[in-house]
Amino acid sequence: MVTSEFFSKTLDPVIALAAIAVLDIFLFLIVGAWTVGGGETMMTGLIAQFFIGDELNRLPFWNLVFRPDAGYWKIYISLGMISGALVGSILSKEFYIRYPRRLSEWILITIGGLLMGVGIRLAFVCNVSTFFGLTPQMNLGGYLSITGIVAGAWLGSQIYRRVLEL
Amino acid sequence: MNEVGECLVAFLFGAIVGLVVQRSRFCNTAALRDAILFKSFRNTKALLVAMMILTIGFTGFISIGEGRTMKFDVGINQVIGLFLFGIGMVLAGACTVSTWVKAGEGNVGAVWALIFTFIGMFLFSLFWSVSYWPPAPASMTGVVDLSALQFGFANAETLQEKLGIPAIFFGLAQTLILAGIYSLILRRERLEKVNAAES
Repeated sequence: MVTSEFFSKTLDPVIALAAIAVLDIFLFLIVGAWTVGGGETMMTGLIAQFFIGDELNRLPFWNLVFRPDAGYWKIYISLGMISGALVGSILSKEFYIRYPRRLSEWILITIGGLLMGVGIRLAFVCNVSTFFGLTPQMNLGGYLSITGIVAGAWLGSQIYRRVLEL
Repeated sequence: MNEVGECLVAFLFGAIVGLVVQRSRFCNTAALRDAILFKSFRNTKALLVAMMILTIGFTGFISIGEGRTMKFDVGINQVIGLFLFGIGMVLAGACTVSTWVKAGEGNVGAVWALIFTFIGMFLFSLFWSVSYWPPAPASMTGVVDLSALQFGFANAETLQEKLGIPAIFFGLAQTLILAGIYSLILRRERLEKVNAAES
C-alpha cells in the first residue's frame, strides 16, 4: 500500500521540498510566505506575558515591534509542524524520547539556541524566510541574509569540527 | 480571510510541512553544514529545487499583482543576525524547522534548543528596548538610511514598478543562477563517483 510505504521508507528530500514549495506558493497567495521566526517571537511574548503579566509593557519592544497576540497566524505554522512531525514519527514507529548524551552537546545546543534567538530578532528574519520567502521574492534582505547565514554556517562548522575532534 | 481562517490555513500548511520533513529528514542546517564539512549535498539539492520553484511561483504571481510579499526595510542587521543564526544552527544541530520537527519526534535536545531560542529572543527584546535598533516596522522609511545602517526596501515587485519589466523575467534569471549552482553540484557528484570507481 502506498500509505504504508510512505511511513516505512525515507522520502526523497527533493520530492518533499518540491511539494512544500508548491504549498508555500498557495500560502503566499493567501496569507504570506512560510516563516517561523515571527511566530516564535510571538510565542516568546505570550509566554513572557503569562509569567510576568503587565510588567512586560515596560519593555517597548513588546509594544512597538511585537504586541503579544495569540491570533497571529505564524504561531500556528510552528504548532502545525510539531503536530505533523509527531503524527509522522508515531505512524512510522520513529517516535521515542531521546536525550543528548554528553554534557558538551547540552552546552552546544544551549549556546546555539541563544544565538538563533538573538540572530532572528536582530535580523527580523529566520532561515525559513531567507530561503523560502525573501530570496524567491528577490528581496534585498534575502541576499543580505544568505551572505550572513553562509558565513555563520562556515564559522559554526569550523567550531563544530574542533569540538568533535576534542 | 478572517483571523481564524488564517490560523487554520497556517496550521494545515505547518502540519503537512512537519509530516514531509519528518519523513524525508530534510534539514536546512544540514543543507549548509554538510556541504561545507563533508561535501555532501543531499539536503542542499532539495533546498535549491525548492528555491527554483518558489522563485518562478512568487515572481510569476507578483507579475500579475498577486501574492503577499514581505515588506520591511533591510540593512546590515540581516547580515549580522543571520551570521549569528548560522553559527547557532550548526552548534545546535537544528534550524527553526528541524527544532519543531525533532521536538515532535521526542527529541529533548530540540525542545531545549527551542527554549533557548525563546530566551535569546527575550534577551534581544531587552537590548532593543534600550537601543531601538534596528528600526521598528512603524518607523521604517523604505529609503536608504546609512546612519541607521539601513538600505531601504527592494524586491521583484519594486524592480517591476521601476523598470517596467514583469517580475517573472528577473525571477527566471535568478532561477537560471540557482540551476547553475545545482548543475555544478551534480557535476561534482558525478566526478566523485567516477573517482571512487577508479580507486
